[in-house]
Amino acid sequence: MTAAAKQAGVIVSGLQKTFFPGTVQEKRALDGVSFSLAPGEFAIVIGSNGAGKSTMLNAISGEVQVDEGTISIAGKAIEQWPTHKRAGYISRVFQDPMQGTAASLTIEENLAISARRGKRRSFRAGLQVAEREEFRSALEPLGLGLENRLKDRVSLLSGGQRQSLTLIMATLQAPQLLLLDEHTAALDPRAADMVIRSTLSAVEDRQITTLMITHNMEQAIAHGDRLLMMHEGRVVLDLAKDEKAKLTTADLVTRFHDVVSDRMLLS
Amino acid sequence: MDILSTYYNLIPVSLAQGAVYAFVAIGVMIPFRLLSLPDLTAEGSFPLGAAVAAALLANGMGIMPAMGLALLAGALAGALTAVIHVFFKVTSLLAGIIVLTMMFSINIRVMGKPNTALFSHDTLFTILLNADGGTPITQFAVLSVMLAALCLLLYWFLHTELGLALRAVGSNQTMARAQGLSTTLYIIAGLAGAGALAALGGSVMAQYQSYADVNMGVGVLVIGLAATILGEAILRGSTLARQILAPVVGSLLYFQFVAIALSLGFKPSDLKLLTGLFVLFALALPMIRSKFKRNSSR
Repeated sequence: MTAAAKQAGVIVSGLQKTFFPGTVQEKRALDGVSFSLAPGEFAIVIGSNGAGKSTMLNAISGEVQVDEGTISIAGKAIEQWPTHKRAGYISRVFQDPMQGTAASLTIEENLAISARRGKRRSFRAGLQVAEREEFRSALEPLGLGLENRLKDRVSLLSGGQRQSLTLIMATLQAPQLLLLDEHTAALDPRAADMVIRSTLSAVEDRQITTLMITHNMEQAIAHGDRLLMMHEGRVVLDLAKDEKAKLTTADLVTRFHDVVSDRMLLS
Repeated sequence: MDILSTYYNLIPVSLAQGAVYAFVAIGVMIPFRLLSLPDLTAEGSFPLGAAVAAALLANGMGIMPAMGLALLAGALAGALTAVIHVFFKVTSLLAGIIVLTMMFSINIRVMGKPNTALFSHDTLFTILLNADGGTPITQFAVLSVMLAALCLLLYWFLHTELGLALRAVGSNQTMARAQGLSTTLYIIAGLAGAGALAALGGSVMAQYQSYADVNMGVGVLVIGLAATILGEAILRGSTLARQILAPVVGSLLYFQFVAIALSLGFKPSDLKLLTGLFVLFALALPMIRSKFKRNSSR
């Protein structure tokens, strides 16, 4: 990849998606979502339920095919690619801790799968002995002792442990874009705190371009370089780091109501 | 005493039969356990393998190429089920039923008639053992070597990059796609492999009984399931080796139970009922257990 292509970051333009078109359940989930992220930028996405946050993430990852719009990562137009091909550039942590890992495989087997994300797989050994050291040192900073349980099946782990493992799997090879879909929402407060800390150290230390959805306003203000607010399938507020730094939770709620009522008046 | 001596005399034959069915039992285990995708195609790919092998052997083809082509035919049948499932979004069960139904006509076309006898032709067993096809014990020995090789090959494959990826697809398709795996391709390849093994089993069966019949697949799926469940109950732990060995050990054991049932005076035609009841019992067991627990804790 050329330096220029790497410089391109992530450009999302005019995404449109309507579910069940032409039926009574017709739902316009994305209505022209556009934004771009510079390489290494960490953007937080907030918005009410049904605003289209998850649909946008699914559209970027490929689980949802958009009706219109373009997505480019590192200079490549990927909107026509299937999910597994996009996985060469994008990695992901889901809201449901069960989604990100293969329960019947061991911890080290899960890591070995993700160590080969985007690479050609062959009849070589699926897990090299030398990789174990790398896996141990990747797991150690979590402080969960998973580095001593490489041969345990993932089905034995708690939700928080599984989510932490998914995060390590998503960042073992630094992706061009990391998608985090309310990945702490299903965890108890302690586990959520732990996973958020691991997330921040992975994302901020290694400058991984990231889109993180959260419902937690304090998190949204405290972290990240950008704040995107979504409403009715659009990005209605886009704040850069310095603007965001001045915000309080109350400001954010006020801004949200301003934006929403403006839009209602206009329409 | 009479029952015991009848069973004793049946042991060698039941071991050989168990070993023959072990191939198709592995072919049944793969979709159900490794891919988490219930698939019935074995009922069609098992007789397909028998029909292809028998037709080719009866026409004078060598044993290895005939079995190789039988295996390939089974792979195509398995792949067809997978294609129907992944591209047309038909449930895997229904896709398999469609394929096995079509296979009935194809199998008759392959043989040109509903059955083919191989009594005057060379088979695996007449070549390796003697002109009569050997005794049950020597047949069992030959089949054991083949099964051991097959299990080792499968164990090796499931530890390669591709095999590990296949298991990930079977465990969690969302995770697999997010990790760059084409679930479509892996499911097609996995069911093709399962079909190939079922057909290999059919080709072995045709040579074992020197006879292929279009109806020989009826009930083979439930036998494969019964064998897998039995093997899993006997073998402890949750390793991959156990999962691979379970259908083999289970198939050998299953035919011991069949021999005992026959010694007890059951007719061969009763066996499908007994096998069905056993599988039903095994499937219902978790539910019965939890009911029992709830009642006793009350």
